[in-house]
Amino acid sequence: MLKIETMNGHERMSTQDLLLQIEAAVQNGETDFEIAASGQHDIGGPLWHPEGKTLHFHITNAGQRVGSMCLSNTEIVVEGSASADVGWLNDGGIITVKGDAGDTAGHCSSGGKIFIGGRAGTRSGSLMKHDPLYEEPELWILKNTGSFSFEFMGGGKAVVCGIDSEQFDSVLGERPCVGMVGGVVYVRGTISAYPKDVRCLELDEEDITFIDGGLDDFLNHVERSELRDELTDWSQWHKLRPLTFEEKQAQTSGRISVHDFRLREWVKGGIFSDVAVDDFEVHDTISRGLYRLKVPSWDNAKYAAPCEFSCPTGIPTQRRYDLIRLGKTDDALKLELEYTPFPGSVCGSVCPNPCMDGCTRGTIDEPIQIGALGLKSSFVEVEAPKVKTDKKVAIIGGGVSGLSAAWQLALKGHEVTVYDDSERIGGKLEQVIPRGRLNHEILEAELKRIQHVGVKFITGCKVDRAKFDTIRAESDAVICATGGHKPRYFNWKGIEHLTMGIEFLKAINRGERPKVGRHVVVIGCGNSGMDTCRGAYEMGAETVTAIDVQKPAAFAKEIAYIEGLGGKLIWPFMTTEITAEGIYADDGRFIPADQVIVSIGEAPILDYLPDDPSIKKFRDTWLIPNADKSIMEGVFATGDTIKPGRLTDAIGDGRKTAWYVDRYIRGEAPLQFPQKTRIPAERLSKAYFDKCHHCELKDPVDDHTRCVSCGTCRDCKMCLESCPEKAISRIEKADGSWEYISDPNRCIGCGICAGVCPCGVWSIEDNLEPINMYRNGQRSA
Amino acid sequence: MEAVRTQDVGVNDLPWKIEYHADRCTMCGSCVASCSFKAIKVAVQAQSITVSEDSQPKPIHKHIARPVIKQVASLKDFCRGCGMCEKVCPNNAIKPVRNPDSRKTLLSRDNGPIKRGGRTNLNAQRTLDHIVVGRISQMTDPSLDSVRHTFDIRSPFGRVLSPKELPFEIVDGKLIQKTKTPPVRWIYPLVFSDMSIGALSTRAWEAVALAVGYLNTQCNIPIRMSSGEGGMPVKLLQSDYLKYFIIQIASGHFGWNRIIKAMPFMKTDPAGILIKIGQGAKPGDGGLLQSEKVAEHIQAIRGVPKATLSSPPNHQGLYSIEESVQKMHLSMNAAFGFRVPVAIKCAASSTSVSVYNNLLRDPYKICGGFFIDGIQGGTGAANEVSLDHTGHPVVSKIRDCYLAAVKSGSQGQIPLYGGGGIGMTGNAAADAFKMICLGANGVFCGKILIQLLGCVGNEQGRCNACNTGNCPTGICTQNPRLVKRLDIDRGAQKIVDYVLAFDAELRKLMAPIGNSSLPVGRSDALVSTDYNIADKLGIQYVC
Repeated sequence: MLKIETMNGHERMSTQDLLLQIEAAVQNGETDFEIAASGQHDIGGPLWHPEGKTLHFHITNAGQRVGSMCLSNTEIVVEGSASADVGWLNDGGIITVKGDAGDTAGHCSSGGKIFIGGRAGTRSGSLMKHDPLYEEPELWILKNTGSFSFEFMGGGKAVVCGIDSEQFDSVLGERPCVGMVGGVVYVRGTISAYPKDVRCLELDEEDITFIDGGLDDFLNHVERSELRDELTDWSQWHKLRPLTFEEKQAQTSGRISVHDFRLREWVKGGIFSDVAVDDFEVHDTISRGLYRLKVPSWDNAKYAAPCEFSCPTGIPTQRRYDLIRLGKTDDALKLELEYTPFPGSVCGSVCPNPCMDGCTRGTIDEPIQIGALGLKSSFVEVEAPKVKTDKKVAIIGGGVSGLSAAWQLALKGHEVTVYDDSERIGGKLEQVIPRGRLNHEILEAELKRIQHVGVKFITGCKVDRAKFDTIRAESDAVICATGGHKPRYFNWKGIEHLTMGIEFLKAINRGERPKVGRHVVVIGCGNSGMDTCRGAYEMGAETVTAIDVQKPAAFAKEIAYIEGLGGKLIWPFMTTEITAEGIYADDGRFIPADQVIVSIGEAPILDYLPDDPSIKKFRDTWLIPNADKSIMEGVFATGDTIKPGRLTDAIGDGRKTAWYVDRYIRGEAPLQFPQKTRIPAERLSKAYFDKCHHCELKDPVDDHTRCVSCGTCRDCKMCLESCPEKAISRIEKADGSWEYISDPNRCIGCGICAGVCPCGVWSIEDNLEPINMYRNGQRSA
Repeated sequence: MEAVRTQDVGVNDLPWKIEYHADRCTMCGSCVASCSFKAIKVAVQAQSITVSEDSQPKPIHKHIARPVIKQVASLKDFCRGCGMCEKVCPNNAIKPVRNPDSRKTLLSRDNGPIKRGGRTNLNAQRTLDHIVVGRISQMTDPSLDSVRHTFDIRSPFGRVLSPKELPFEIVDGKLIQKTKTPPVRWIYPLVFSDMSIGALSTRAWEAVALAVGYLNTQCNIPIRMSSGEGGMPVKLLQSDYLKYFIIQIASGHFGWNRIIKAMPFMKTDPAGILIKIGQGAKPGDGGLLQSEKVAEHIQAIRGVPKATLSSPPNHQGLYSIEESVQKMHLSMNAAFGFRVPVAIKCAASSTSVSVYNNLLRDPYKICGGFFIDGIQGGTGAANEVSLDHTGHPVVSKIRDCYLAAVKSGSQGQIPLYGGGGIGMTGNAAADAFKMICLGANGVFCGKILIQLLGCVGNEQGRCNACNTGNCPTGICTQNPRLVKRLDIDRGAQKIVDYVLAFDAELRKLMAPIGNSSLPVGRSDALVSTDYNIADKLGIQYVC
């Protein structure tokens, strides 16, 4: 037994001297210490006997951290109370404080036992741990603890007996066990609150065994064994333990979800329920039916193909090829005759074929051979309509526009009579177009076909005002289609030397072989100018020169023909004077010629019309009809009487006029002539079509493989096969026609149908079907 | 070959380019069906090649036409980079990629100035990211434990009187209050700021409101939301939840007809009134709601026909700050029986300090808060020139105003709230903390709320199509087809969770500097490695 008295009168032994003395004594084999301390800290550890014997300390008036870092085989008894940090980092010692312990008793202890016979201060038991290689630490407290006890506790057992603590709200102080992850705290008496991640439970058998088994030892150490009975009413005990890792994983905040909050607590139906109907259902970005962003539509034949649009006559060639594709070539050739009586004479012969200029296929390789296809309809027969109306239409002028109108009206069953002052019907086709450009046999066949459907021709009949009035009185409608026959020229010097081109050409076609000079100048490089040049050569001219004030307007083909014959085109050439020797320009140029023929167009001769001020004219020459082509009640105008144009323009205009006349004589309300818009090029998928070599062009009928079928369904089924939702089906109708439909309940509005359609038939547009979500908030009655 | 003119618009002129891998595409149609901007379409692409497979040249011609997804080259239907295509694609076959060579903004003025929504795309640099909390209490004074400690996270909203001005007197030995004092509410220092019910879809607005209701009643977080200028849902006005909402009045006074009509039916006072003078995203410009978003309920609540709605840049009845105090503040105070605090919101400006000083000097003492909105705020629609080229950073302005009040000894009397870009780089708590240390009583935020709801827009030009009515997430649109995409509960939950984390994070910053109440003006807690910022804000420069 080593007794150490740390006070010598007023001299106090320093902690350092005390601890070094103790350590030296232990090294010398001392095991028992009686220490009358005076507040020295860290008495009792870490110490170990050289032979492993147990060390005993009996301490009075200990300072802080008594028994800190104690190893096993150390037993400490503190008489009375101890300061803070009793058993700090205790690693195996048995430390008894008979009175109260200061703050943080047992802080970080990981072994041994600490017995407190009174109260323990704040943060007692915090961060206790249990190393599984060793026995777990125990902290026994007879009374209560200060606040924040057992914070961050990780292991071990604490027992707080709650003796003499009735005056406190909680025997564990405020906020015990914060951050606790392991170990257990047994507590007798009231506790105010504990964290959500700690459970407060009743004791089980094991717990009781533990406390019951250790209680005597504890009470003996703190010399209060009389309390045993009081402390063994297990119903007064609880234990606090943290949630296990698994329990924490499964733990929820305890709050209701926002979803449940909305349904149970929030404004019923939602705060916008007076102005917005909403079921709060959530849609994917991909919806079907009503909620699709976009909807497809099968817009078959909504748009005009470029050929159809570019053709003044409006012939839908894509439809002809669709029929050919179906093996209905005859129907295809007949289809053209619904639009023109002159497929051979005009489309197949003299027309420059603007349809082909517009042809989509032309942007891939070569345009579809539309003109050549027209020629195939030259001799196709058409039945006269079986049902006749009793309406009579008179047409003044048997040229292309008049005959086009006559054809359309006769096919509708009206009685049509065409009056012409010439002996032969056919207008410019017959009278002016050189036979070299137009096979007369085809023209005659086509004129006969017009007669065959019921049109009556009255030739050699000059219509004057009196005759006009008679005709008008006898007819339900009259169409003025007298064309242009009055040569136009300017007031040049020497106009008496001019030959009129139209007269010259008419004479040729009449077989009169008009006289021609050796050296001929033709004024005008348009198509009729070229026809005039051709006529001059045919009549025996040696040189022909065509002049114009501007770039020649004739088709390249016609110019090339004339140049091939040796003809020259000179422009710009501003004519000033014509003499018997030739023609002068304003810049002094002179072209010698013994004949100058003028061919710059013709104006209409309208002397048969009454002097009606309501008839409007352009430059006092051309008729300006109303929107429905009428110029007077029941009198309509068409063709070159309105505006000089190409033959196809005249045919188209005749067809259009006939449409208005038909409505008029049937007494139907005036409407606008239906005109489709040209299909936008970007709607078409040309990528399907491989470029072919020019030399591979076959018969025009075979061009059905090349025709893109712009705007009209070619029944290729690309859409049906490509639809990712299998929403598209094909419906075949009784007449053999078909329709593709998209099922809104399957369709997601992706637009693949529109994207893959070669013909631009499918559209994909914003879904405009209204969803009545919003209201103005008015209460329903 | 297609005819292409050099002046035609190509995809390379657009801000985003679609990167598409035909080899991975199954043509399921998801991307095209989902794209609300019609920026992609289906097209057929041809491969027409001549190959030789023999041991000597033997041409075999192959022509393959296959469908592909193609970007639309249009200045109207252009890709906004929202990435819905990428999100829905099952095969990673498609995504938008930012195009650094875009010429879009040069080419898009055919119909006048460019309008868009979102935020500034040229001023994304952030002062707050150059500031860190540098004064960590360690040996000098004990830091607090953010988890265990009690923190008082409340800010005043309302006019705070100085102790000398408190109308107390002693009568018969008892302290009594002689006259009424201005109303002051203690609210959470994060205010959900003004996004109107025209700018947001019904679902988006309600999701934010729902989060507010939840945070107050379930989480004990007294967060407040400002209505924006387009009015308030009548059902909300007539509910107990109104006490969590600040009603805004802006220059258009939109929606006030129904607010006034609802007054007799209000069960509780609103949290406050906010007079919007200007907004940071487009200072000097009034509100703008493009006709695409003026749906029937918006027309009704605002009392206007379908049209593009522009609020005047100024309150029509106001000519000066003094008049604003007199008319707007007095009337708004009077309307709610002097029980409801009335605050004012201005765009940050070179003149903000003068305005604040004037408000502080106001003898009526009825300005209950000064909200300063910085250049990095968001908007549903604005002229791009305003968004990108006008505005004022908010950080130094809050600091200047605070210091001006300190100088006159009146700090804290008119609470200062700063906004515009709060949470822009993800952490609103850090932003709020720094703003508070610089002198703000609190912050307000809007953009991050819709970003939490699902908005994918950002400061680098992504999406920013709030003005089009084609919001791909159903947030900034009135198109029912798009609104249906928004999950109101999931969105609100996200906001709730963010605010709960914000609360924890704010404590995490308060604890180390040892403050258990909001550290208003504790600029000693902040340091900057940017000398100019440190110098301007009066905080420690460190390196």
